Amino acid sequence: MTLDYNQQHLIKMANQIAGNMPTRENVPAQIVQHMAQFWTPPMRADLKKIAENKAESLSDEVLAALALQD
Amino acid sequence: MNKPIEIAIEDIDLGTPAALSDSTVTVHIDGQAVEVPAGTSVMRAASLAGTQIPKLCATDSLDAFGSCRLCLVEIEGRKGTPASCTTPCQEGMSVKTQTPRLDKLRKGVMELYISDHPLDCLTCSANGDCELQDMAGVVGLRSVRYEEGSNHLEAGKDNSNPYFSFDASKCIVCSRCVRACSEVQGTFALTIAARGFESKVSPSEENAFLDSECVSCGACVQACPTATLQEKQVIDLGVPTRKVKTTCAYCGVGCSFVAELRGDELVRMVPDKQGGANAGHSCVKGRFAWGYATHSDRITRPLVRETTDSEWREVDWPEAIAFAADRFKAIQQQHGVDALGGITSSRCTNEEVYVVQKMVRAALRTNNVDTCARVCHSPTGYGLKQTFGTSAGTQDFASVQQADVIMVIGANPTDAHPVFGSRMKRRLREGAKLIVIDPRSIDLVQSPHIKATEHLQLQPGTNVAVVNALAHVIATEGWIDEAFVQERCDVASFNAWRRFITLAENSPENLAEISGVPAEMIRPAAATYAKAGNGAIYYGLGVTEHSQGSTMVMAMANLAMATGNIGRNGVGVNPLRGQNNVQGACDMGSFPHEFSGYRHVSDETVREQFTALWGVDLREEPGMRIPNMLDAAVSGQFRGMYIQGEDIAQSDPNSQHVADALSAMDCVVVQDLFLNETSKFAHVFLPGTSFLEKDGTFTNAERRINRVRPVVPPASGLAEWEVTCALSKAMGYSMDYANASEIMDEIAALTPTFAGVSFDLLDELGSIQWPCNEQAPEGTPIMHAQRFVRGEGQFITTPYVPTDERSTRKFPLLLTTGRILSQYNVGAQTRRTNNTVWHAEDILEIHEADAELRGVSDGDWIEVASRAGSTRMRAHISDDIPAGVVYTTFHHPVSGTNVITTDNSDWATNCPEYKVTAVEIRPSSAIAVGV
Repeated sequence: MTLDYNQQHLIKMANQIAGNMPTRENVPAQIVQHMAQFWTPPMRADLKKIAENKAESLSDEVLAALALQD
Repeated sequence: MNKPIEIAIEDIDLGTPAALSDSTVTVHIDGQAVEVPAGTSVMRAASLAGTQIPKLCATDSLDAFGSCRLCLVEIEGRKGTPASCTTPCQEGMSVKTQTPRLDKLRKGVMELYISDHPLDCLTCSANGDCELQDMAGVVGLRSVRYEEGSNHLEAGKDNSNPYFSFDASKCIVCSRCVRACSEVQGTFALTIAARGFESKVSPSEENAFLDSECVSCGACVQACPTATLQEKQVIDLGVPTRKVKTTCAYCGVGCSFVAELRGDELVRMVPDKQGGANAGHSCVKGRFAWGYATHSDRITRPLVRETTDSEWREVDWPEAIAFAADRFKAIQQQHGVDALGGITSSRCTNEEVYVVQKMVRAALRTNNVDTCARVCHSPTGYGLKQTFGTSAGTQDFASVQQADVIMVIGANPTDAHPVFGSRMKRRLREGAKLIVIDPRSIDLVQSPHIKATEHLQLQPGTNVAVVNALAHVIATEGWIDEAFVQERCDVASFNAWRRFITLAENSPENLAEISGVPAEMIRPAAATYAKAGNGAIYYGLGVTEHSQGSTMVMAMANLAMATGNIGRNGVGVNPLRGQNNVQGACDMGSFPHEFSGYRHVSDETVREQFTALWGVDLREEPGMRIPNMLDAAVSGQFRGMYIQGEDIAQSDPNSQHVADALSAMDCVVVQDLFLNETSKFAHVFLPGTSFLEKDGTFTNAERRINRVRPVVPPASGLAEWEVTCALSKAMGYSMDYANASEIMDEIAALTPTFAGVSFDLLDELGSIQWPCNEQAPEGTPIMHAQRFVRGEGQFITTPYVPTDERSTRKFPLLLTTGRILSQYNVGAQTRRTNNTVWHAEDILEIHEADAELRGVSDGDWIEVASRAGSTRMRAHISDDIPAGVVYTTFHHPVSGTNVITTDNSDWATNCPEYKVTAVEIRPSSAIAVGV
């Protein structure tokens, strides 16, 4: 899967959110809440597609967050 | 357009400033009793009693000076005739202001003044606006007995300043200009040189004004009682004949002005003494740099074109609106409603912003609306909402007068918020301590009569590390205000924060290598702030425009709560907003996830209120932010955009990416004054209105809602909100307002913090600081006084996470950007004024060691390259910045500073990381030979 600019930016944003969550407790749930507040549904869906095809680009915490959304 | 509102302006000069005492004394002025605060001058008391004592060197914006000897009075039981300006009232004092003896003395004084003054009143440019002329009339001077002798009538003029003239032949050496420069502006550029007959006003030791330290704030011009210092516009056009009160459209200070006109021609802008934000002061931009409003580059007729490589075609309003609507509808049909979006502008009024976001949500049926605050203070919105409960500075500007310690972080108030900077400098001269946290040595670090107690010169990108280190010292030294925390804050969150912040990883010793600030500088700075009494934090874009901008805002909020510096005068956490209406644009629901008043679109109760009033179903999911819209455009999913008053092609980071995104869209609609950089990618250009043509409100950095009144009619024939409403109607959703006041009424009906706001109340009170509602019918100068907006203050742990943007062998220097006093943002306004005499181009400041290493000399053309792109500009070798850091401004499109900034952004809000870009510098000569 070749990533376009939009997808690369989504990956960066998601990983950055995971790395900056204030408390390190239950980071995936915090990511889910943050994305629900500030990301559009298509952005969340796009990230999910990236996780399915390019999981290695996302941090474990982001992948765990996406799993929570299922 | 509404008829311009002309206000009767009470402008009686009371002679000396108000005394601040709580106790009062009663004195008798010519037999009339008057009660005044203790310490009030006899001159002011007389004025308050309705008696204007003649004066020349006195004015109520300056401390009494007692030099002109015109304001003499007789006081019962006292010998002589003391000056009323320097004599304080005492209980029971009986004063006579008019006696034959006083008349004779005053006439003699005036005779001496006039004996060395040109007798050209009829042809003088100040005729009818001259206190010397007035006083000659008041004292009844009819002739001058002195024969012609030595005088100053041939003294020359200094016309070097582009905006005002200095005519020494008309100077009476009253020192009002010198005192205004010192006391009001705090620059100390003027002095009285020599003694006796040789005395003269002198800028920076005999320089011309333009070459001196003068910052052209105009306080001297305003203070001058004669035609000595006068606006060139007045000299050219004549004395104004009508006045309209309005608000400046430059920075977030939001100064109130009286626009003075002859007919529809603006003659001068005079800062309003009653202005809550500025109290009669101004800067060079607000007072003088408004010529762009009538610049020949203004576009006043709508333009359309089929493609961006075809010529613009001038059309009438209906055709332009139909053209834009047809394009937008076609995009919706082909790509769906979320292929469109809009951007609101902090340069526009609350009312104009509100209708744009309403059009996007209700007519375009998407939440894809964002505002230019995305690229400046969006982290403030996030951080202060998380900790305090709302996105707002905690104080009014006047609060700084009671601060004991002022901490300035990532802000440069004397350049970017100059009128507030002057207020701050006044307090610092009175003895408040100053901590500056900034990579650059900004003017405040050391300027006349001011020296920072501590300057923490950190590496760009390490704000959070430094504030964590300060907090670590405060927590481990036992300087927490435990009572405040227990009473006002969420204790569980505080305990978690205390556990985090006291970890060794947050110690100043541990963080010194990261931040570049030695622990031995952090520890005393922490003590200074924690033991301040009143400690106030002021911050700017040097805080927010980082990958950890939001974290940093929360770190500062933690620091203030931990030390109890919230909820009273002299304290607080205060964002200095970049543009005039950043606060307002955010308040008005410009963010894609929030309605007005910062309420999330997913809140069903709130959404129902809007649905009921707007009569349309609204989306419950957040829309795209500006960078998301641009990314989606490059990917082909986002196809059309309405851009109100923002030049994203110049102002947003990674210009090439912005250009790619705009080029990919099917319809870009730009509403602006000029064909800016963004309009190169536009298909429709809708002419906007300058602030002189607007009718509405701006909300400044202290949440102060000020009226913006139309001074002249809109050059394009329509108000901006009328144009937006027309497009909305063409898209199938009608917004019907008779005037801007009705828009504010709707805002008030839907926004709890604005519930009490109306144009009528604003006219009555002058200005209002929100929240303004049933609980606070006249507004709220200080927030969180009894409880935080969210109830209890929330501490949030703030781990330092380094930015991805780091210096490397290829890009070893860190570039940070900022603003200069004479220019404003992308320069669209100020570049079209005479302010270019001070700053005609963007310059790169570089440390001597870095310059020498690269063979760069002062003034050399250089190439600045980052991983995003490269540009050229000239270098200036400066010791204001440390080695390893370079600095420039972004006011000129030709240098295109944002070509080199990257698309790194704040983790929570996507605010771009303008303040850290790894770059390399090469001299242009090296480029030419391919070195």
